[in-house]
Amino acid sequence: MNLMSKDVDTGLTEKITVSNLKFFYGSTLALKNISLPLYERQVTAFIGPSGCGKSTLLRVLNRMYDLYPNQRAEGQVMFDGENVLDMTDLNLLRSRIGMVFQKPTPFPMTIYENIAFGIRLYERLPKSEVDGRVESALEKAALWKEVKDKLHSSGLSLSGGQQQRLCIARTVAIRPEVILFDEPCSALDPISTAKVEELIDELKNEFTIAIVTHNMQQAARVSQRTAFMYLGELVEFGVTQKLFTNPSDKRTQDYITGRFG
Amino acid sequence: MALDIAKYRRRRLRSTITVALCWAASALGLTILGVILATLLYKGIAGFGPKVFTEMTPPPGSDGGLLNAIAGSLVMTIAGVIVGTPIGILAGTYLAEYGRYSKVSSVIRFINDILLSAPSIVTGLFVYELLVRPMGHFSAFAGAAALAVLVIPTVVRTTENMLLLVPNQLREASSALGLPQSLVIRKVAYKAARAGMITGVLLAVARVSGETAPLLFTALNNQFWSTNLNAPMASLPVVIFQYALSPYEDWQRLAWTGALLITAAVLTLSIAARWLSSSRTQQ
Amino acid sequence: MNEHTVKSYEDELRLLDRRIAQMGGYAEKLLVQAMDALERRDPKLAEKAVSDDVMVDQLERELQEQVIVMIARRQPLANDLRHIMTVIKIAADLERIGDLAKNIAKRALAIANEPYPKPLMTGMRHMTEMVQTQLRDVLDALTALDAEKAMQVWRDDQQVDAMYNSLFRELLTYMMEDPRNIGICTHFLFGAKNIERIGDHTTNIAENVYYLVHGVPIADDRPKGDKTSSTLITPRQ
Repeated sequence: MNLMSKDVDTGLTEKITVSNLKFFYGSTLALKNISLPLYERQVTAFIGPSGCGKSTLLRVLNRMYDLYPNQRAEGQVMFDGENVLDMTDLNLLRSRIGMVFQKPTPFPMTIYENIAFGIRLYERLPKSEVDGRVESALEKAALWKEVKDKLHSSGLSLSGGQQQRLCIARTVAIRPEVILFDEPCSALDPISTAKVEELIDELKNEFTIAIVTHNMQQAARVSQRTAFMYLGELVEFGVTQKLFTNPSDKRTQDYITGRFG
Repeated sequence: MALDIAKYRRRRLRSTITVALCWAASALGLTILGVILATLLYKGIAGFGPKVFTEMTPPPGSDGGLLNAIAGSLVMTIAGVIVGTPIGILAGTYLAEYGRYSKVSSVIRFINDILLSAPSIVTGLFVYELLVRPMGHFSAFAGAAALAVLVIPTVVRTTENMLLLVPNQLREASSALGLPQSLVIRKVAYKAARAGMITGVLLAVARVSGETAPLLFTALNNQFWSTNLNAPMASLPVVIFQYALSPYEDWQRLAWTGALLITAAVLTLSIAARWLSSSRTQQ
Repeated sequence: MNEHTVKSYEDELRLLDRRIAQMGGYAEKLLVQAMDALERRDPKLAEKAVSDDVMVDQLERELQEQVIVMIARRQPLANDLRHIMTVIKIAADLERIGDLAKNIAKRALAIANEPYPKPLMTGMRHMTEMVQTQLRDVLDALTALDAEKAMQVWRDDQQVDAMYNSLFRELLTYMMEDPRNIGICTHFLFGAKNIERIGDHTTNIAENVYYLVHGVPIADDRPKGDKTSSTLITPRQ
């Protein structure tokens, strides 16, 4: 049985389908009836001013908000036929929906351990195989060449850009289906940013990707779909090319051209 | 607008005065510390010799050392820390991780703060009532218990603070990999906070190793070598207290030596803690 | 339309608009001058038109440079992006219009001392006036972001084409009547063709204005009226 719905217009598979999602911080409504799909093996970018709810939406997708009290979500987030909001095994969910954060967050361990750690959590593998997985994860994150001779030095000894790619490698290593990027380049220099963007472009051949970014050009460069959010509402969602050249909503246009007022 | 020279001068003057006052205050504090250390060194070094470490506390008028007191202090401090540290770390972990947002935690935190600032003599009395009275005699056991009670709040505090210093993003990042909370704490948060937590324990050791009051009510003192935890045991602070108050000159000299020893030990521990935390954070 | 948060961006866009309007004004003036020179057989005016074309070229270069700098600095998106891209395309059209007008002025110089029949001039004058109006309208449409007006210009080009067709036939007839007319009529023929080309560039501008406003190109095919490419007139006809 095919649990995933095919979009009639696009011919793309909806990996995650958000419908009528509401989110509350205490009694404050932070997301107002959001509905949109994340297409499989596509990059969906979320843009909007600070506080518009784009990060919140991302954190609903892997139930990150469960770490904090007084936060709750209503509605539906269908992920391969199951409602994420009803799931009980959050650790399993999070192993299937990985996340990369704004600031690089290497664990206080060696580069090798940073990646092997997550792998060992889910699979019992002989050391040689773990080595292989670590290598391929670093390879995928375009970091292998830079770190192969210092796998056993601390992850914190890497530069900011390398740390971020280490975090991506760590996420990729446990083979999730979806990867969420929460402003992954906001702490990086332009060259590192370019590397991460190139990486995202590569990763979309294997994973479904959602990225929150403050950099509109970045959204335009890396994504196939873009969602513009404002004050907890989804203002516009559509093909990236269209949204950045000829948006349908005036608010979108004002935001992306720097006319917000 | 042109610079208002007069105003600028006044500001400069105020700045100079403030800096001078700061210097004076630091100098005063350091001088007092210097005088204490110099006095200790001067008076303590007189009685210093190999005998201090090889012989027992003597009766007045005869020769002796501080061996039983040093051993007693070590035994009771180590026992107190071994008992108090795990409890403190577990409680601190609860406050910082599991119960961070619960009401119970703020109550515990408040009580812990009271415990932290309570006079140590109260702790001594408490253990006296709890252990010494029912047992009918003073014991090293009760002494260690009293020290443990002093260790706990310090360790709870430092553990909680150090865990709170671990950026939340690190926790989120590990949770995002699908780690259960217990693993997030053990494998990631503890690792990141380790230096701070060890520093906290060392500072707790430094603090309790100089405590006199709680031991007076619990372990009392013992003129002789004893390894029996169920019997009174000597300790440096208590010996210092007793000998310093005595009219005998050789006892007083020994008290000075003891004070020097204990100060040196505490100083070493503090420096070690400092070095540890700075060398760790530099990474 | 809200203003940009960055005020200097707004200023740059205004400068861009001013430059394109100025360029349009020059191009229009050039066309009138060239036509007047042809009609009045005024070599001085013709020479002035030839040398004035430099102004249009100069403005185009400035505009191009400004656009390149703006793309590099502002990374424009959405309507700003369309605005800037449209302006540079329109500038290219205006530059071509300037060149075509200059070409008419050169021809005016070449035939300044030749006598030519009056009725010929009426058709040319009429066609020029028509194209001039079209050009002015499309520049107004650009300034006002009036897509409807641009559409009107786009449709009306048909009439220019029709006029060119009849002028084409007329000139051929003159040439057939008297071979001594061939030299001068050829110049007129190219002059007419130039004006017709200016009309085509004007429709290009109209298309760009429409795209600027709506973000999508004009959907239908433009009605084409120039049939001279498939016309052959022989003396026996």
